[in-house]
Amino acid sequence: MNKLAAKYLRPELVPTKACQGCAIGAIENWLLQAIDEMELKQEDVIFGAGIGCVGRQTFATWGGDNFGATHGRALAVATGLKVARPDKKILLVVGDGDAASIGASHLIHAARRNVGVTVICEDNMGYESTGGQFSPTTPAGYVTNSSPYGMAEQSFDPCDVVIAAGATFVAETTAVQWRQTVKVVKLAMQNDGFSFVHIRFPCVQNFGASALGSRDPLVSMEWIYDHTKGKTDDGAETDFAWETGIKHDASNSRPEYSKVLRDLNARVRADMAAGS
Amino acid sequence: MKPRTEILISGFGGQGVIRMALILGRCAVDQGQRVTMLKSHGTETRGGYVRAQLVISPDYVDSPVVENADLFVAFSAPAYRKFYDLCSGKVLYDPEMVEDIHDDAADRHVEIPSRALARDHFDNALFANMVMLGALTRLAAMDLAVMKDVMVDVIPRAHEQNLRALDLGHGLEVVARRA
Amino acid sequence: MALSEELVAPWAEWQESYQDGQRLLEAGTYALTEGAVAAGLGVFAGYPITPATDIAEYMSKRLPQIDGYYLQAEDELAGMHMCAGASLGGQKAMTATSGPGYTLMHDAYGWAIVNEIPVVVVDAMRVGPVSGITGAPGQGEFYVSRYCSHGGNIETIVLSPNSVQETFWLTIDAFNLAERFRTVVTILTDQVVADMFEDLFLPGDYGALSDIVVPRRHNLTMPFFPADSSEIDLPPNVIGEGTGVCVSPYTHTEEGYDIEEMEAQWSQTFRLINKIRHHKDEILRYEAVGLDDAEVIAVAYGATARTVKTAVLEARRQGVKAGFLRLISLWPFPDELFERDQPYLVCELNYDGQLVREVMRAAPDKNRVHFMGKSGEMHTVAEVCEALEGVAKHQKMPQQPYIWTEVR
Ligand SMILES: Cc1ncc(C[n+]2csc(CCOP(=O)(O)OP(=O)(O)O)c2C)c(N)n1
Ligand code: SF4
Ligand SMILES: [Mg+2]
Repeated sequence: MNKLAAKYLRPELVPTKACQGCAIGAIENWLLQAIDEMELKQEDVIFGAGIGCVGRQTFATWGGDNFGATHGRALAVATGLKVARPDKKILLVVGDGDAASIGASHLIHAARRNVGVTVICEDNMGYESTGGQFSPTTPAGYVTNSSPYGMAEQSFDPCDVVIAAGATFVAETTAVQWRQTVKVVKLAMQNDGFSFVHIRFPCVQNFGASALGSRDPLVSMEWIYDHTKGKTDDGAETDFAWETGIKHDASNSRPEYSKVLRDLNARVRADMAAGS
Repeated sequence: MKPRTEILISGFGGQGVIRMALILGRCAVDQGQRVTMLKSHGTETRGGYVRAQLVISPDYVDSPVVENADLFVAFSAPAYRKFYDLCSGKVLYDPEMVEDIHDDAADRHVEIPSRALARDHFDNALFANMVMLGALTRLAAMDLAVMKDVMVDVIPRAHEQNLRALDLGHGLEVVARRA
Repeated sequence: MALSEELVAPWAEWQESYQDGQRLLEAGTYALTEGAVAAGLGVFAGYPITPATDIAEYMSKRLPQIDGYYLQAEDELAGMHMCAGASLGGQKAMTATSGPGYTLMHDAYGWAIVNEIPVVVVDAMRVGPVSGITGAPGQGEFYVSRYCSHGGNIETIVLSPNSVQETFWLTIDAFNLAERFRTVVTILTDQVVADMFEDLFLPGDYGALSDIVVPRRHNLTMPFFPADSSEIDLPPNVIGEGTGVCVSPYTHTEEGYDIEEMEAQWSQTFRLINKIRHHKDEILRYEAVGLDDAEVIAVAYGATARTVKTAVLEARRQGVKAGFLRLISLWPFPDELFERDQPYLVCELNYDGQLVREVMRAAPDKNRVHFMGKSGEMHTVAEVCEALEGVAKHQKMPQQPYIWTEVR
């Protein structure tokens, strides 16, 4: 176990139960690096997880307080929790199904309210813990176990959605962007408001097998790498490319949700005191 | 006070039916009585009628449902027709709003020209329900002074006219005779 | 001989102890809001729906005044999850809805129950299915409130008030039970009791209620989820105190780790069920009138019990020896109240027959359990009197228009 894991995680619960070659463990390490560089302690951060591979593999690994929500509801739980514990940083690690599909309305409204949480959406472009069906982020045309003829729907980028809804920090990276990811996660956690970090990573087990024709982690990683750059090794353009980097930064530009409520209370109570 | 007095008030939305029932109920509470008040709800208020069912008693009221009203205030013809059978006591009505009355029980009907009185005295028919409330106060043997206190507390505006309207209804000759 | 009357509920004493205060004419929704405030509510999260909307509006006004928080959720599912989150953060939390919203809460229900998170949920029932008729009362969630999560392996606590005054005390009681049992407590009220205005006594100083209010405590040590234990009065777990607690939707260990061993599944279930079953006597609340010599016992809860009680008293005046049993705690079901071998007449606001099925199961002779279901509209005193007479004198329900008597 590496030093960061020893410092922040529960030794008895790591390494994760993820498939061999899955990036979930590596990305969690990057999160720890950001936390460490911010000099946060275990008790400063509440760790919340979704329910797919991403949620389940990371749930209860964090050494501090943890919750795992039902599918898609981590943000709703976190909204109530933040109001009760505004002094804590809440880090949510959720899948694309959690964030962009079943929990999409919570995502939109948490962004709108500017709830002080950092959402790490680890997007493996499908529902992988149920065996690899397409999700709202699966690229059009790609084969999954529920799109055997190619994904027929149009996908979307949840970053666009949360930006429109009012998120105050939004960034996108991929599993081949270690330093960038650490950097944006730090910025996200420094925002006292709603932050969204969208990280694409390959599911070797399902997406790799059905969409890319191989369970070799190197094949998946290369595909991610190419689509991050927009070019394959031999210089050809890929079928599409992700736009990574900071997509929206209005950090600390408007009050965090629980603060809005506290300020409201202060105003109401001051008026009451003045009135009586 | 009787063990159980049932009052039914009904009319169109916006006529102040519920507010009238609330004032009446508050007055009874302030006089130490136990009170229930059911109000009609939702779609009922948009379509046909608004209904308030009030039960007043010195003891805890079990059924809040008015099945046998001692007093029935009909603010509209449809309300009069719909609930007439639920009343075996006195029916208060305004002849401007309820034109066809059952002729089988003339002695139970108390004609209150509340709108006409309100127009004559205040140049505004809106005070009709306070005239009616004044009449009801007397017929239900409730304390006018307490009713006035509650009314002032509940209604934000036009206290002076509302109080006079209450007096007007309370003092009506036809009411005094039936009380 | 005076008629026997019995109210078995903590507020029977509370009403005696607290006499200083004010008398108002207010609605059930108002009493509920004040009861929650008196119980120390910190967070309300919900989504408006008739007839629970007034609760939301009262809360939005009241909570900021006491430094609490009103959260208007994007839907009921979110609302209850927010409550669970707030409760985990150390606040007493509540949500309120009606049937259409109640059915959306099941996901959060299961999560809160398995994680032993105290939350109070209000369902002000109206006629269904779905939106039905907005302003009409119903009693269709008797079973739904018992089976408010999928998967089995739980017991639930459900209370039902029948007056504005009782709504106030019962709400405090609901919060107490939620704390003591570390679980969700449902207040199953209805459109009539929620919307009705009634004289209401409110204590002048809620601080003086500290003798009866169970305060929020924090469990700071392992075990967070004691296996195989039916112990109650354990402090709820808290997130944010650095205890390292883990809560999740998974079958858990005592630490809260997810585990796929059957032993863990069994001991978790043992706890969730037996903490309630082994303390049923702490939850039992009911009202009974004239059972001693009753030749027929009318059974009801909530608004229905109001007209039914008047009918029972009226029937007695007419020479029918009728008794009255009003359930206040609906779940766990009080089987012990149905030991008398007498005919029962169960009145409820649904045609499918819900409460009546439990009475049939619990009573000595299910063939002597009669059903009087109405839909959307209260039973009238006259109807219930007629039925009581029919059952007492002829062992048979009279046929009455739009009253359902068949259960099978
Ligand atoms: C209400 C509900 N519906 C469906 C499921 C089944 N389910 C569990 S995880 C999951 C998909 C997860 O997808 P995602 O959030 O992207 O996580 P991943 O497994 O891909 O990491 C589904 C459909 C569930 N647990 N709960
Ligand atoms: S199924 Fe895919 S996403 Fe899930 S652990 Fe395996 S490789 Fe990772
Ligand atoms: Mg996924």
